[in-house]
Amino acid sequence: MAIEIKSKLTFPGGVHPPEYKEITENCAIEVMPSPKQVSVLLGQHIGAICKPTVAKRDKVQAGQIVGDSDAFVSAPVHTPVTGTVKDISLQSHPVLGRALAILIETDPENDSGKSPSPDRFDKDYDIQQYSSEQICEITRKAGIIGMGGAGFPTRVKIEPNPRLPKDLLIINGCECEPFITCDYRLMVEWTWQVLTGIRLAAKAARIERIKIGIEDNKPDAIEAMRQSVNESGQADKIEVVVVRTKYPQGGERQLIRSLLRKHVPSGGIPPMIGVCVLNIATCAALAEAVVCGAPLTHRVVTVTGNAIDRPGNYYVPIGTTIADLIDFCGGLTERAAKVVLGGPMMGFAIADLSRPITKTCGALTFLSQEMITKAKYDRRVTPCIRCGRCLTVCPENLNPTKIAHAVKKNRLDLAEQYYMSACIECGCCSFICPANIELTGYIKTGKILQARAKKKIPE
Amino acid sequence: MLSKITVSPAPHISKAYSTRSIMLDVIIALTPAVAASVIYFRYRAAIIIATCVLVCLLTEWLCNTIRKKPNSLDDCSAILTGLILALSLPPAIPIWAASIGSIFAIAIGKMVFGGLGSNIFNPAMAGRLFLTASFGALMTTWTVPATVDPGMSAISATGTEAVTQATPLAWSKEAIKGKAQAHVANQQLTASFLGNTGGCLGETSTIALLLGGIYLLIKRTITFHIPAAVLLSAFVCASIGFLLKSEAYVSPLLHLTSGGMLICAFFIATDPVTAPLSQKGMWIFGAGVGVVTMLIRMVGEYPEGIMFAVFLMNAVTPLIDRFCKLKPAGGVPHG
Repeated sequence: MAIEIKSKLTFPGGVHPPEYKEITENCAIEVMPSPKQVSVLLGQHIGAICKPTVAKRDKVQAGQIVGDSDAFVSAPVHTPVTGTVKDISLQSHPVLGRALAILIETDPENDSGKSPSPDRFDKDYDIQQYSSEQICEITRKAGIIGMGGAGFPTRVKIEPNPRLPKDLLIINGCECEPFITCDYRLMVEWTWQVLTGIRLAAKAARIERIKIGIEDNKPDAIEAMRQSVNESGQADKIEVVVVRTKYPQGGERQLIRSLLRKHVPSGGIPPMIGVCVLNIATCAALAEAVVCGAPLTHRVVTVTGNAIDRPGNYYVPIGTTIADLIDFCGGLTERAAKVVLGGPMMGFAIADLSRPITKTCGALTFLSQEMITKAKYDRRVTPCIRCGRCLTVCPENLNPTKIAHAVKKNRLDLAEQYYMSACIECGCCSFICPANIELTGYIKTGKILQARAKKKIPE
Repeated sequence: MLSKITVSPAPHISKAYSTRSIMLDVIIALTPAVAASVIYFRYRAAIIIATCVLVCLLTEWLCNTIRKKPNSLDDCSAILTGLILALSLPPAIPIWAASIGSIFAIAIGKMVFGGLGSNIFNPAMAGRLFLTASFGALMTTWTVPATVDPGMSAISATGTEAVTQATPLAWSKEAIKGKAQAHVANQQLTASFLGNTGGCLGETSTIALLLGGIYLLIKRTITFHIPAAVLLSAFVCASIGFLLKSEAYVSPLLHLTSGGMLICAFFIATDPVTAPLSQKGMWIFGAGVGVVTMLIRMVGEYPEGIMFAVFLMNAVTPLIDRFCKLKPAGGVPHG
């Protein structure tokens, strides 16, 4: 039914991993009921970690703030369930190692669960009733952060900043990671909610020009977004731009390069060239927060891979443990060998299934033994043969092999000479390496060592 | 349910190939040239190729055993070194000489540097250079292919009884010195395109080498940069000579089709270990190989020169890498 669309808009470098999107792309978003217990991490975003605002044994209402911070770059966290605070303790965290989390036991009698409300949005929805300041304030209070992965507080991003004026809002609907389909489902199913969120964000940022970038492997999403933009009469402001399917097209630096043929300075941020980039899920959450007054307590998570019984796209309370989500999805199959928080290119492999889902977690990928035997760490690592493939695929035009080997020899000074800090950790070099060297792994290690040397992160 | 759950850094999927499969691809790409050499030089070719490959494998195994290192034969790079070395030897070379060349190629050319990936010079070229320096006469005895002279059985270790013939490039050298006419050499163009002429085992058949090269390009095992740079620069240099003084300098096409120019462009200069990393570096490297080869052929004493050119450019590869440092896409970061 969908017409074949091919785009030439792209960036240099990148790879074409197998997509595996067929596993979940036709699974409609399904609501997961509140689990018996949730564990809400206090540091889910970039910026200051929240301090708990509740105490042990406190009763909490769904949507109540349980952690907040006075810092500008931060976002509060809310409880997705009604219940009792059972404990406030350290939990393992994918980036920080360990962070405080609030354990809340659900009160089954008073908790009604939360249902999404995409039906409240349509083409006539009037966004003029909100001022820019109001939207920014709600965005902060609702704890909205970039839900594509980085988790930068959205309020800080969209608020007009006289020092870094923005004149273009780019909506990132690429979803270039293999397996993940949560943003695709949002664009197809909750089209009006997403569009309202986009318009609200533009209003808040006082930006008149919007480009929605979608990869050419999602014709249905392109069609849905185009149609709704036309119907809402916003076609003069909002443009749906099709970009080529290539990993990491959804990296904001790469998407900007594809759309504008401009580079964000290394180590810089998009506002430096007048651009603000928001993810699809973030826009949907923004619309829900402003229009329905609902804080960010649930998100759509793609549960996928070939080692889970019932893959699909689920509307999950943030704080649900992975074990609970696995149970809801019918459990793992015999073949399960790897649990990845996120997609297979950039996700974290985890061993601890008691970890909670966070605001930035768009997918859980369960890989089977067969699938990972194809992957590199199952094969023998051979010496680098200097083939230069990692240089060719690096979207940031770096020299991964030199950086990785410098880190391996503990020469951080040398690694920085090859611009280690400009690496976006997309994983293309590791993906392509015929010698199976974990280039990205070494570079990430090097960055952590560097940060420790500069005393940014404690040991 | 979960008997074993694995953790590793991202990414968790990767392209399904390896160093070994890359090496195998190059070996596959060399089969037309191997076949051509067996057609033209019969059993001599088969014996030399088998000797070189076997001795290379044995040497690598011995080196690993002595150094108490894990066995590295399964990356197939020793087979490839043996093949390339064999194809760049003259058909009349005695087996003991081919063996010495193979031992030198692997032991001194590769293993003393630390094995695959650490060698500075192309191992096969190191072996050939050693043979040229040690047994000059053996390395310049060009036997006529069996298709030209059915009496191939007369070939012997000394090569004196065999019917020998000057290679197209030897004619070219004579022409430059004024002892012959360039057009005599030019007449051999068709022969050198098919491989029906004197020369090293694998160098003679242009068609076979082109086939292999195209296979590698299609499989994306090599990129076009180095072959294009080598061939273009050599063509330009040869054309300048040809246009200035066509009675002394042979046609550029003859230069491209003979004396190992193609095996160099597609199989030797593209050896990733000894070539620069960046694409800009590859252009410089390839152009250097082409220009140095043509300088040796047209001004120097040797008729061929590929080997020296590759060796010389291998030596400056680290320098090229240093000068062609990539700049990040977003510019050099501050601080």
